[in-house]
Amino acid sequence: MNFTFMIIKRLGSLVVTLVVMSVVIFLLVEIMPGDVAEMILGQSATPESLEALREERGLNDPVFTRYLRWAGGLLQGDLGESIYMRGVPINTLLWRRVGHSMLLALTAFIIFVPLSIFLGIVAGVKAKKTADSIISFLGLATMALPEFVSGVFLISIFAVQLRIFPIISVIPIGESVFSNLDILILPALSITFVMFGYVSRMQRSSMIQVMNSDYIRAAMLKGMPRRYVILRHALKNAMLPTITIIGMNMGWLFGGLIVVETLFAYPGMGSLLMTAIRTRDVPLIEACVLLITVVFAVSTLITDVMYGFLNPRIRFQGDVQ
Amino acid sequence: MNSSILTIENLNVYFDVFGGSVSAVRGLNLTLDHNESIGIIGESGCGKSTLSYTIMRYLAPNSRVTGKVMFREDNLLEKTEQEILAFRGNRIAMVYQNPYSSLNPALTIGFQLDEVTRFHQKASKEKAREKSIQALTSLNMGDPEGLVKRYPHQISGGMQQRVCIAMALLCQPDLMILDEPTTALDVTTEAVILDLIRDLKDKYAMSLMYISHDIGVINKVADRIVVMYSGEIVESGPNEELFAHPHHPYTRALINCIPREGLVKENFRLNTIPGYVKQRGTDEGGCPFAERCSMKVAGCIERYGMREVGEKHAAACDRAYAADVADSFAKLKVSRSKQHADHTKPILEVQDLYKHFGKKRKIYAVNGVSVGVERGTVLGIVGESGCGKTTMGQTAVGLYTPSKGRILFNDTDISVSWKKRSPEMLKQIQFIFQNPGRSLNPSHTVEQIISRPLKKLMGISSREERKTRIIKMLEQVGLSEEYLSKKSSHLSGGEQQRVAIARAFCLSPGLIICDEPTSALDVSVQSSVLNLLGDLQAETLAAYVFISHDLHVINYISDYIMVMYLGRVCEYGTREEVMQPPFHPYTEALLSSVPEIDPSQKKRKIRLGGQLPDPAKKIRGCPFAGRCHMQIGTICETQPPPLVKFSDTHSLSCHLDFPDAVREPAGEATG
Amino acid sequence: MKYILYQLKKNPLAIIGIAIIVFWVLAAFIGPSVLTYTHTEMDSLNQMVSPGVSGHVLGTDALGRDILSRIIVGSRSILTVALLTSMVSTLLGIVLGFSAAYFGGKIDQTFLRMMDIMMAIPPLVLSMVVLGILGGSSIMSLTLIVSIAFIPATARVSRGSLLTCKNNEYVDAARIRGESHIYIMFVEILPNTIGPIIVEATARFAYSIMMVASLGFLGVGLQPPTPDWGMMVIENKQIITDAPWAVLYPAAAIASLVIAISLFSDFVSKVLIHEQ
Repeated sequence: MNFTFMIIKRLGSLVVTLVVMSVVIFLLVEIMPGDVAEMILGQSATPESLEALREERGLNDPVFTRYLRWAGGLLQGDLGESIYMRGVPINTLLWRRVGHSMLLALTAFIIFVPLSIFLGIVAGVKAKKTADSIISFLGLATMALPEFVSGVFLISIFAVQLRIFPIISVIPIGESVFSNLDILILPALSITFVMFGYVSRMQRSSMIQVMNSDYIRAAMLKGMPRRYVILRHALKNAMLPTITIIGMNMGWLFGGLIVVETLFAYPGMGSLLMTAIRTRDVPLIEACVLLITVVFAVSTLITDVMYGFLNPRIRFQGDVQ
Repeated sequence: MNSSILTIENLNVYFDVFGGSVSAVRGLNLTLDHNESIGIIGESGCGKSTLSYTIMRYLAPNSRVTGKVMFREDNLLEKTEQEILAFRGNRIAMVYQNPYSSLNPALTIGFQLDEVTRFHQKASKEKAREKSIQALTSLNMGDPEGLVKRYPHQISGGMQQRVCIAMALLCQPDLMILDEPTTALDVTTEAVILDLIRDLKDKYAMSLMYISHDIGVINKVADRIVVMYSGEIVESGPNEELFAHPHHPYTRALINCIPREGLVKENFRLNTIPGYVKQRGTDEGGCPFAERCSMKVAGCIERYGMREVGEKHAAACDRAYAADVADSFAKLKVSRSKQHADHTKPILEVQDLYKHFGKKRKIYAVNGVSVGVERGTVLGIVGESGCGKTTMGQTAVGLYTPSKGRILFNDTDISVSWKKRSPEMLKQIQFIFQNPGRSLNPSHTVEQIISRPLKKLMGISSREERKTRIIKMLEQVGLSEEYLSKKSSHLSGGEQQRVAIARAFCLSPGLIICDEPTSALDVSVQSSVLNLLGDLQAETLAAYVFISHDLHVINYISDYIMVMYLGRVCEYGTREEVMQPPFHPYTEALLSSVPEIDPSQKKRKIRLGGQLPDPAKKIRGCPFAGRCHMQIGTICETQPPPLVKFSDTHSLSCHLDFPDAVREPAGEATG
Repeated sequence: MKYILYQLKKNPLAIIGIAIIVFWVLAAFIGPSVLTYTHTEMDSLNQMVSPGVSGHVLGTDALGRDILSRIIVGSRSILTVALLTSMVSTLLGIVLGFSAAYFGGKIDQTFLRMMDIMMAIPPLVLSMVVLGILGGSSIMSLTLIVSIAFIPATARVSRGSLLTCKNNEYVDAARIRGESHIYIMFVEILPNTIGPIIVEATARFAYSIMMVASLGFLGVGLQPPTPDWGMMVIENKQIITDAPWAVLYPAAAIASLVIAISLFSDFVSKVLIHEQ
């Protein structure tokens, strides 16, 4: 009962966050230097034609009215039109790119989550031994390594030297990403490095903490084999904080997506946002940032719910006898 | 067949640490017979827990062990990791101090019980569950079928400890090791658990090894006491024998440290042991206690070792002191006059105080308490956790503001928070906290700590003058000038509490609230702090509100005693009035539950069932109804008890019919 | 002090880390004065030459600019911005996190809500969009925006460490002698929480380098002619098959600095937080 209530509460705050974010994003873009009408028509436009366009698009309306119009459009699924691409609806541009980004994120996720949890646990169980030293050093070294740095190293080894994977991850025109899955590997690995650093270190320290807890001692002294105690007693408790950590670091992952998509010229949402910023395409920037916010918020919500579901102290909160 | 279950021979345990190795257990010999129950007593750092984990073969990797631990015919120290599993939890089971942290929060109670028999007896899932439920039932736990589906955080501390005991019993072990299993529990719950352990031991014909810092607790479960000091056994013998004729100076010093029935501050100074327990290196020999011993002679270093001093009674000191035990006790007797200050004006007056916390889920912490503290006297407040005693004290110093009611200090209304109190008022009421390690800022020096209030509240701006005062104050609490520049984190617990006392007294306050000031300390340190507080009170005539869960400590230090239960006053009176009949049933239950260090004392056995009611519930009748052994009917639950007055000072709240007493109807219903 | 040496002896990696950091700091201070080429000079005769050719120790890029000079000069801006960022974000974090945790209740609730909202945009996305919109980053704007983007992280650490200290009775003891909130926060509590905060600040230094380098890589960092390590990587990525040194050396510079600081931060945490 309480748990359901918690989820509803989180959903509520998610909506509030999104509303506030949409205002912030809108205002942020509002202060951007330059005139939208001028951008559309170019430098050579006459003052009259500029004014006419402003009138037509409602650019002379007060900020509040324009915000409501934009937000209303969003609610109906209308993200507006791209300026740079001459009035192409953003909806037709964006979703394919979002799909590509999600696929890349998912690939990275599938690689780094099991890898860092597994190695973090190994390091925690073997604390202070050789395996731990190696894993800990790797984690420390990759903890703050920018994705493009690991990316260029990967490229020079696997693409330039060994020629196993392509240097850039473009999708040939007319083909789908699914027929070119090999282009995902290097970008996904680049993201994996930094995520591995953070998550495995967290997993290690939470594992050490759990292994030193009274209940693990109690379980060992009940005569349970060490392997069993680690698997049945320690893992579940030690992985709980990691779930939260992964959720919070989804933000880094999205940041990383932009970087690797730029490095590999991969047609995802990140590189689209980069283009939008470079070309000062206001509606497109707004749409991309808002979408990233939504995806990020939803993924934190999912981890919160998972955390609550796996943790009986939250699931049965207030249910104390 | 050898009847002994456990034989430990010449056991040594060392730990390698930064810069050498220390010895945690040395040259230890111990035999435990079948169905025998021994209690191991010692202060913190004496190696008693290390001993138990050595038997279980669960020591940190930086340890080295030599000697023999024979469990029947098996030397446990020679078993492989695989072989030892068959002993742990199966033939030797263990119960720990903190039941809450010893149960896995992510697994159901049933799962954690079942796995024991599933592993050791290869029982099927169904069979294991059946056994778990049986074990819970044998511990008189209601609704075991419902219990196994619950998670540890959903049941109370007492229940959790019973689950842990049930878990230890599942394979009917030959030996059960209990490491302070009741230390985290309230005294009435403790009494019930201790009875249970005693019964189970006979029922399953187990041997028990009970580890505790409290002789009284050990008396309740053990036939024989083993005294440990600095990793060695210094004395062992049957309870009565050991209490009546302690041989080793440490045993004797320890017994005389402990407040007990009949000892009060006017007629007795508690014994203190100078110095502190030193970590011993591997190369040191001789009597570990020699340095602190008042009877030390040259032979203490060379001629040292356990020897028989009576039937089953052995001690490590070769000079028989048994004869002068009475003397050493008598030496501590003093005669201090009782301070009889004027009864006219109380220095602190609490009028119908209520304190509620929380908004949605209201916690009723204090519910209508009225009490006065007379100048120069000590009011002891006693009660179990959740009775509101600490909240009362914190409200008096302004850490909380009352929800309803008033607090007067010298007729000034101080029912406001500390922010709104004048410096003079802040100076007049001082507070001594339970945990000195936490009440002194670890990154400040002793001088900074005591100096700040002098500057802030006494307005002494000259650093030199403050320093002179601090040095004088430090001497009064038994610390020398060299402590000035020490950081509080480098002091021992006893020294820290002395600094905290100095900080309070250097302001010459009129009232000091002592919130469990000795609960975090070892008994030998507790006694010196209690002596100090007693001396300072006699000197300065300050009034104390002394809050404690320990009835013996309260009895020792207080002039008046107030017994609290669930935010209400059960009984109030002078020390003699409260400690003697007529009793409030709760006072009686408390007195009967308190462990006694004198094993010859036999008391009426009152055991409370049930648990403390939810503090978020409003109670219409008597808060103690439902657990009370004297309950007379539904009236207890539906109507607030009347105030029964026996004298000007002595009163209690109960529906029972006491002859020769004046009954006043209860005030308005709470809330 | 003795303990620091003891820990140093136990952590040879920390010594390597510190050595690398010292190397880069020295490079930033005195490096430019000993270089043969300036960072903007285009040696049109030696475009994309490999390391060692005609005095170009690390080779040149497509325009014939000396990679070594660009890396050395680039170390100045990245070190400055990252150092400033880690300090500013830590200080802002202390002020915000301490106030929220100390006063608790509604203030803390509001703070948490604000942090929730700020955290809704990933820090890199936030900095990138803002810098991109404003255009023309300077050391000032870069520092300020990255610091703000880091506030949720640093404030959370400060808040958490104050919360663990807040329940200590020495705080109550200070209250009941009438100390001010500022005194309690900064004289009573801060000295006891400084360890985790310093550790966080050193780790934050590494993240700042990462962030600044990434922003440079995305083209919204410091603008040319200031050489930027991140920008060097993306500029020369097209020639990675022909002149890998132009890409790999700047990348290696970033990696060495980030890893060195991470190692140092780990060492600081071992010394300050007597971990296990």
